[in-house]
Amino acid sequence: MGIETMIGRGRDAIEMIFDQGSVQENVVEQYEFDAEIGPGAVVGTAKLEDETVTFIASDAQAINPRFNVVYFGVIGMEEAYKMALAVYRTMEVDKDKPLEEKRPIVLIVDTPGNGPGKIEEIIGMNKATGAYQLALAEARKIGHPIVAMVIGRAISGAFLCHGLQADNILSLAQDYGTMIHVMPLTSISRITKLDIERLEELSKGNPIFAAGVNFFYRLGGVEEIVENPEAMRPLIRKHIDSVRELKVSGQAEKLGPWGRGLLGDERGGRVLRKKVIELMDAQYEDIAEKYLTV
Amino acid sequence: MSAWKDVQKLSFTDASARERALGIVDEDTFTEFVGPRNKMSSPHLPILGEAIEFDDGIVTGVGLVGKRPVFVISQEGNFIGGSVGEVGGAKMVNTIRLALKAYEDVKEKYPDSYEERLPAVVISFETGGVRLHEANAGLLAHAEVMDQIQNARGKIPVITVIGSKVGCFGGMGFVAAATDIIVMNEEGRLGLTGPEVIEQEMGKDEFDAGNKALVFRTTGGKHKYIMQDCNFLVANKVAAFREQLEEIMEIPFAEVENYRRIGSLKLVEEQFELVKLAAELQPKDSKEMWKYYGNEDPDQLNELPFEEFLKNAKRRERNC
Repeated sequence: MGIETMIGRGRDAIEMIFDQGSVQENVVEQYEFDAEIGPGAVVGTAKLEDETVTFIASDAQAINPRFNVVYFGVIGMEEAYKMALAVYRTMEVDKDKPLEEKRPIVLIVDTPGNGPGKIEEIIGMNKATGAYQLALAEARKIGHPIVAMVIGRAISGAFLCHGLQADNILSLAQDYGTMIHVMPLTSISRITKLDIERLEELSKGNPIFAAGVNFFYRLGGVEEIVENPEAMRPLIRKHIDSVRELKVSGQAEKLGPWGRGLLGDERGGRVLRKKVIELMDAQYEDIAEKYLTV
Repeated sequence: MSAWKDVQKLSFTDASARERALGIVDEDTFTEFVGPRNKMSSPHLPILGEAIEFDDGIVTGVGLVGKRPVFVISQEGNFIGGSVGEVGGAKMVNTIRLALKAYEDVKEKYPDSYEERLPAVVISFETGGVRLHEANAGLLAHAEVMDQIQNARGKIPVITVIGSKVGCFGGMGFVAAATDIIVMNEEGRLGLTGPEVIEQEMGKDEFDAGNKALVFRTTGGKHKYIMQDCNFLVANKVAAFREQLEEIMEIPFAEVENYRRIGSLKLVEEQFELVKLAAELQPKDSKEMWKYYGNEDPDQLNELPFEEFLKNAKRRERNC
């Protein structure tokens, strides 16, 4: 079997992951979303082994006719707020459900960036991407299992926006052309003025700056690497279940960005983080009394 | 005269990150965590031939405003553009975490009167976001900061101050937007994609980064004030920022939520309306938004001295 990339194929991924015939776009229970607004964002409801989930993905084929920098999977202002709304509506429809019944949210990640335009800066693109992240963080903390599946591009701020607030992050293996990075090594080379061969050599021993799925895995930024697209469906299911189990048993600190910090230490990729935190904690303990009893 | 008194007179833009940190809280109350003496520098920079700083370009610690412990994070733009790496990122994350620990402690110690001792977090941003030399760790730290900001919701206020030359861009641009209250001066800038990056990616027609007036009009304090993307605009003095912080600390905590821009369904609906308006107006310049909100002569308004600008500027109306 030849290896075919999933870049630009968010809609195919939706079909591959969820139960056949279960995908309903632009719907979360009684709430409907305008298909014309935020065309680069695909949100809706589907079933995964008969369980109802909310999905959020990008459509790389869509072009936003109102914002000219939004195409090829870029998350623009409309897209980010539409994604945020899908999360808020998901919380709302499940608000009376117990922890173990909060519906999962599956993020299918293939996005090269947030809208890099002048209108975006005038109106505030930073608010749009921030709003979506806060919505995801809130949903995660009130018990919705959130699993991100990186199928293509997870680039810098766009990965922060759509992915890095999930409980667990899965990524298709590097062989599929999956890209997780802030900047490609060529750009880092230009900025640091170090030649590319030297950077490549250095990145072998230090995953901290180089582009790639395997480096993010070592830093704890990705929980599990998915070897092929057929494995996405069962592994997303598995992670939804394990995330839910941790939440129900009061171990949520092992999930989300903080949990990935712990994982980065465990995997030996990010060991300074813990040292800094421990030293700060100790220094604070020494003086806390003075500040709390004024 | 004490260092604190001297610092009050400094312009906020000229002050160092450490001067801003100690100057924004009450006199002689600031204690630094993991300061230069601890030599927690980045081990990743020397590998790429870069110099280090013993504080990794971020000053963190705690001070007081009245009885309230104020946890401060202050970024230093003179060190690799205030960029966030593994060490500095961890310092940011844990400062908010410690403020939340202090919150639990004061609640336990003073169950009936903890609000007068309610901790707060103040972040002075001066950054373009992720430090490329340790980009992956920096990126992951951004997600952790965002996570802690959500942890602080409904418990303690998180306040942004932006008054630096570098401004606040990249991932830290949305971290700032996610805080409760934002204070800027005219010199401060807040955005996501910096002008040079827009020009590089989309061309000079989209954004002419060499046009300094355009740059300031698009992301500068005055524009953010009119758009309600910053709550308070203050003079460019450390003392002015500190006085504003003192006033903010008088706001009853239950009202702090009203100062936010994002972070709830209601607020997202309000912002979505603003995006619909932008789709309709297609503003090529922030001046068009100033005009839309009732400022008939944006150029004249822009020229006004600071105090006059505050008196005359008409701002976007909040509908909630």
